[in-house]
Amino acid sequence: MSHDNSSPSFFQHHFHDVEQQYETSKFGMWAFILTEVLTFAGLFVAYIVYRSWYPDMFVGVHKLLDVNKGLLNTVVLITSSLTMALAIWAIQKNLKKLSIFMLTATFVFALAFLGVKYQEYHHKYEVGQLPGKYYSYMGPEVVEVIKDQDKIDLYTRTKNVYFDAETNRFYKTMNNPHIFFSIYFVMTGLHGLHVAIGMGLIAWLIYSTARGKIHHKYYTPMEMIGIFWHLVDLIWIYLFPLFYLIG
Amino acid sequence: MSDHHITPLRTYLVIASCLFFLSGVTVWVSYIDLGSFNIVLAMFVATVKASLVAFFFMHLLWDDKKNLVLFLMSLMFFGIFVVITMIDTEFRGALGFNPETKEPITKRAPFYAQLPLTDTHGYPVDSHDDIHHGDDDHH
Repeated sequence: MSHDNSSPSFFQHHFHDVEQQYETSKFGMWAFILTEVLTFAGLFVAYIVYRSWYPDMFVGVHKLLDVNKGLLNTVVLITSSLTMALAIWAIQKNLKKLSIFMLTATFVFALAFLGVKYQEYHHKYEVGQLPGKYYSYMGPEVVEVIKDQDKIDLYTRTKNVYFDAETNRFYKTMNNPHIFFSIYFVMTGLHGLHVAIGMGLIAWLIYSTARGKIHHKYYTPMEMIGIFWHLVDLIWIYLFPLFYLIG
Repeated sequence: MSDHHITPLRTYLVIASCLFFLSGVTVWVSYIDLGSFNIVLAMFVATVKASLVAFFFMHLLWDDKKNLVLFLMSLMFFGIFVVITMIDTEFRGALGFNPETKEPITKRAPFYAQLPLTDTHGYPVDSHDDIHHGDDDHH
């Protein structure tokens, strides 16, 4: 296609043709995805390092997370990924109404994901399973009060017992569970932020598609936001087993 | 634009079914104790799922391969990041110059000494009658 008056309205003059414009947008999007992967990479490295330092604590503390809620969110997010892909399929086939319906479904599933996440966060806030110095949960899952003298001797030898002079109390605790929750909240929090941003973008897609600005000849924004949305799903695919399904 | 590859509807539905199935598998396997093999298996299943999402939902299979190269580069740099970091963190104190740095994990954050024991709802429990180590000064 040349630079003449028959160019479609979405065609920008600095590109050679419409196809090149599309491919350039997509390449730019993948460059952005690369930076996103590397952003999360730092947090995954933090997870790997601390898990190798505290293997027992990670295995013990992860039982405080609700596997059913995690699995529910996994199913919700995979479904939203499917509806996002189908929205693009529908717009390619020039099925505008179906595309808008699928985008709306994606939005609703994203909202459901954040709803479940809110419930989880709220419960953790209530019981004090919080990151860093805000951690205050000393329930039976993480603390074992020791009365048996033999056990005290054993644990003292293995440096696993703690004596609290003020209350004259010996106990064994999982070492530093607040670290698990620091990593949990930062990783799922940043992921949740991406879900929220994705919801904003999808809402804009619904508006643009309904207004006819996105159609079967020009659906680049939908394709790009689709890639972003699938990345959000892809990261959750790793977060779910790493936090909820530790051996 | 109209000559782009349009993925058949059936492909999307099959891939989504595989993703649901593999999610079930990974949860089911996590209840079987395979020792350190559990994490390997969980990561393997997650990588299969991630590949399905990347190749089919993100259309990498039909795209110009430069996009795939960009994505794989991000994973390669992630690998370099992990290896270089762990060369430090896994071998701290290994040369024996400073033995204190060898086991950072046996240290416990000081604020734990101030925390009262709690029940499963996070409320403090008074466990004085539980613990008696000698006749002591507590009231």
